[in-house]
Amino acid sequence: MRLTAIILITTFSLSAANTKPKEFTAQQRRWWAFQKVTKPDTPVVRNQAWIRNPIDAFVLGKLEEKGIAPNPEADKRTLLRRLSLDLTGLPPTPEELQAFLADTSKAAYDKQVERLLASPQYGERWARHWLDLARYADSNGFKSDETRPHIWRYRDYVINAFNQDKPYDRFVREQIAGDEMYPGDADALVAVGFNRHFPDESNAANIMLRRQELLNDITDTVALTFMGMTVGCARCHDHKFDPILHKDYYRLSAFFANVKLHDDAVLLTTTQQKAWQLKYNTWDTGTRSIRDEMAQLRKAPYDAFYQERLVRFPEEIQDVIRMAPDKRTSYQWHMYLKAKDQVEFSDAEIAGKLRGEPAKLYKQLESRLATFDTIKPEPRPIAQTITDFEGIAPPTHVLNAGNYLAPLEEVEPGFLTILDPSNARYVKRRTALAEWLTSKDNPLTARVMVNRLWHHHFGHGIVGTPSDFGVMGERPANKELLDWLAATFVEKKWSMKEMHRLMVTSAAYRQDSAFNEASAKIDPDNKLTWRFSRRRLEGEAVRDSMLAVSGALNLKPGGPGVFPPLPPGMLTRGGWKRNEVESEANRRSVYIFVRRNTRYPMLEAFDMPDTHESCSRRSQTISPSQSLDLLNNEVILTWAKAFATRVANDGGMSQDAQIDRAFKLAYSRTATQEERNISNDFLIRQTAITGSKDRALADFCHMLLNANEFLYLN
Amino acid sequence: MLKRLTHNWNVRTRREFFTQAGSGLAGMALANLLQASTPGPHHTPKAKSVIFLFMEGGPSHIDLFDPKPKLKDLAGQPLPESYGKLITAMGTGNNTIMPSQRVFKQHGQAGTWVSDWYPEIAKHVDDIAVLRSCWADGLNHVGSVCQMNTGDILAGRPALGAWTNYGLGALNKNLPSFVVLLDDKEPVGGAKNWSSGFLPASLQGTQFRQGDTPILHLKPPVGVSDAQQKSKLQFLKALNEGYGANKTDDTELDARIRSYELAYEMQSAGSEAVDLTKESDATRKLYGMDNADTEAFGRNCLLARRLVERGVRFVELYCGSGSGWDAHANIEGNHSKWCRVSDRPVAGLLADLKSRGLLDETLVVWGGEFGRTPFNEKGNGRDHNPWGFTMWFAGGGIKPGITVGSTDEIGLKAVDRRAHVHDIHATILHLLGLNHIQTTYMHNGRAERPTITDGEVIKELLS
Repeated sequence: MRLTAIILITTFSLSAANTKPKEFTAQQRRWWAFQKVTKPDTPVVRNQAWIRNPIDAFVLGKLEEKGIAPNPEADKRTLLRRLSLDLTGLPPTPEELQAFLADTSKAAYDKQVERLLASPQYGERWARHWLDLARYADSNGFKSDETRPHIWRYRDYVINAFNQDKPYDRFVREQIAGDEMYPGDADALVAVGFNRHFPDESNAANIMLRRQELLNDITDTVALTFMGMTVGCARCHDHKFDPILHKDYYRLSAFFANVKLHDDAVLLTTTQQKAWQLKYNTWDTGTRSIRDEMAQLRKAPYDAFYQERLVRFPEEIQDVIRMAPDKRTSYQWHMYLKAKDQVEFSDAEIAGKLRGEPAKLYKQLESRLATFDTIKPEPRPIAQTITDFEGIAPPTHVLNAGNYLAPLEEVEPGFLTILDPSNARYVKRRTALAEWLTSKDNPLTARVMVNRLWHHHFGHGIVGTPSDFGVMGERPANKELLDWLAATFVEKKWSMKEMHRLMVTSAAYRQDSAFNEASAKIDPDNKLTWRFSRRRLEGEAVRDSMLAVSGALNLKPGGPGVFPPLPPGMLTRGGWKRNEVESEANRRSVYIFVRRNTRYPMLEAFDMPDTHESCSRRSQTISPSQSLDLLNNEVILTWAKAFATRVANDGGMSQDAQIDRAFKLAYSRTATQEERNISNDFLIRQTAITGSKDRALADFCHMLLNANEFLYLN
Repeated sequence: MLKRLTHNWNVRTRREFFTQAGSGLAGMALANLLQASTPGPHHTPKAKSVIFLFMEGGPSHIDLFDPKPKLKDLAGQPLPESYGKLITAMGTGNNTIMPSQRVFKQHGQAGTWVSDWYPEIAKHVDDIAVLRSCWADGLNHVGSVCQMNTGDILAGRPALGAWTNYGLGALNKNLPSFVVLLDDKEPVGGAKNWSSGFLPASLQGTQFRQGDTPILHLKPPVGVSDAQQKSKLQFLKALNEGYGANKTDDTELDARIRSYELAYEMQSAGSEAVDLTKESDATRKLYGMDNADTEAFGRNCLLARRLVERGVRFVELYCGSGSGWDAHANIEGNHSKWCRVSDRPVAGLLADLKSRGLLDETLVVWGGEFGRTPFNEKGNGRDHNPWGFTMWFAGGGIKPGITVGSTDEIGLKAVDRRAHVHDIHATILHLLGLNHIQTTYMHNGRAERPTITDGEVIKELLS
């Protein structure tokens, strides 16, 4: 923020803000994404035989219009591999493939779809897509990048939501206002942690600025994720391109104006809590005198430390901390809530400051306290989430140039003016937003989500910019299809699995990926879906597939993030501990701890998004760092050796049989004659170079995992 | 400033998207392979490369390049009321004024003021342009280091080096084009500071690690011979060619084949670049590698020269990485140390670049994330000062032997020719041939650029 600029603009806009309300142009009002979804009729196409479900009629309708013929259906092996990688992020096993090839029934493919949608790995795969949108991370970011010890429950919530086929409208409501709308529902409480994933600077001195930044982060992310709108521009001025007003930004952000961290949300039922309390009370009574003594010892260092930290704050914050609670305004309460963590410290931290005799005494008391551990209840399951502060919400102002020091008019919670100019009527703020987002009439919510599903299944959205349905985003390549999908989504009670089913069983999805010069001339980017778009797998899927093929994959679900070993030479600020159980390192990538300042290097190299903001569409880069990682990473070499051992055990003694087994595991097919020849040549050559058949076979397996066929979804 | 809201953009297809994926970890000769274009250069570059000497933690401008005799008069008094109330990182705004204990002298033909903490660098002032009027937005380290690197105090935007690679592409395809060198701990905020942000991952900075394996996974695991690896790569190529035989339209598959060739070449190019054994004793001495205090940073300075010599676009060297210069207490002890650590190596770098004719095409930048306050902290230290501080520039396109801008009479705030971080970034990009407003990338509906919505080239610095 440039203060000089802001001051200049302030004077200018204060007067401008009072001028007549902004009129939308007819063109803006007609913008396609703001029109209600009406379910279009299924188009009549010439080639009726191609149609498997209504999606195909819409796709083929466009293709016929342009004179493009769809590609033929891919072979069964390609289809199962595609389906398996797409739905679960793992390749089919040779046995699964064998079963599918042997199944000549009409429903053979549908059965595979059902099997994969029902597997727990489906949720793990599709949750990862959602976590990109949620800017999910297990740490705060900024300098200290502290761990958020309980935030992983949100990740598990998303995985379970996909696996249980939680209706999307419910999924949205839970993440926006689960705490308000479903009191007593532990899942909903965890879900609203969607708004807890902002990067946070725990020791920020300028708390007012920090609060505004968090509100901005939440507002931007909610708009991108659920509405497919980039409202960020309206933080400083009316959006240059979209009909989003400067005040709309703050109307939206006002839904969150009373949000506070809720980092110790206890996830116990009333009965469980009662039982826990009973146990706790016994421990509490038994240890009270010891703990009082300990508190007495901590008092002096606590006071000193408290004072030292307190004076770092500007006076107005110091006042807020010192003042009587009932004197604080709601704004001051929010200041206080953010500041207090910086002046209050854990008992252990304070105790660490004791020296000499008191320190010795304290140690003794600690030992005495520990003797009561046997009657101490287990720690309760905790969620890190958000909730609203009990008092009234502080007022929300339009901020000039986004500067919290330059408030303009006050606004009430409200939606985009172009969709609904009135103020939101509410009892609870976020509930009103959640209900608006999930109302059947909302033109954006269903469209945005079906487009996201399409984006992941087909490699590009019907709208190519999945989080931007505005003027700067791409236009829908097939608007009728998008609307049909959106309307159907709502009809099917917002079931995501129903939409997956429709998409992956369509003829459009089952096409092969072969190039066709004539079609490419008309539609070079395959926006109309005349073939399957070949694309590189995400880093997570590459890693998980390597683990699966090598037989080392640990499918254990859920729980706190895991820490696979980092490559030698990597510095971390103490934030990467080694797992005690080695197999923990071989869990699926979605369970790898996401430290904002140290992303797991392999995933980072393969375009895992920066976790500082919502990401709807990953980059797909090709770089030597990826190749160096796959080629020289010792961990991958270990997997290649495990893969080779598996091949040697299963494949028997014949080299040809081993080659075939390796191809089946890695590529879901047998080797061609040509491939068998080059593989045999390589194995002979490599045995000579390394002096070992085992090492040659490991090198062979290693290269199979490096090859394009392994890295690409085809 | 805000008046310049003409966002430009290039709408891109997916194909363009990664072909423009430029040049980071030698990302991309592939760019050439796929006939991609970069947005720049927009005009004839004055500099090919940048060496950014990042004094992390915040060096005190009023003890180094910006003498303030007035502080002697005000010693022990509170900050004059005319300066208003300040929010500072450590709440020191009410503390008393502490004058510098340094001896300042004018140096060179130019008569540039430098304190006795930097005797060697002082000998090069005739090649240097000192900018005394820098200012920034952040109060504490993580935000300020982040802003000096990415333009914003909030993490998530691309670093200047990533923008440079995006705008210009690589000069040497076998080396990363944006290299980061640390002399101590990890800088605050870590790799966020050389992140590619929303730009493609291949544009991010590559941290060169100490020792002979500067890049992660640069060397084959122990026990894998060159012949063995070559043979593997030959087999891999055959596999890929077989797979691609009926997919010739897909240039991505070819690019990936090529990426393995590059990775192989990089294994030797990377090791060669960091191999200092060919450097003469005289050169090592020039950089202070003969002295325990200056050995580590001197080594990095020498590495930086080798890297720009080999076409690396952007080298960022941290001095005191992990907030070394952060002298909240005992500034005399702290700064004596870090000045000693950096003086000879930086002077050596300037001399060496000049003697090799590289200074003309290399922009050298010296500075931290902010300066330090004229009032004391804890009696003998200084707090963070983002309102006014000094940076200096030398080489490619910089007017030598000048001093630009000023702070107020106590060195608290920049007053004359104020230069915000965005202006400094705009100027660096300008010297590299990039117009900071035209260097745009579409992201979430906005044509993002390195200077966000601000930035103005500091013309006074240009030759």
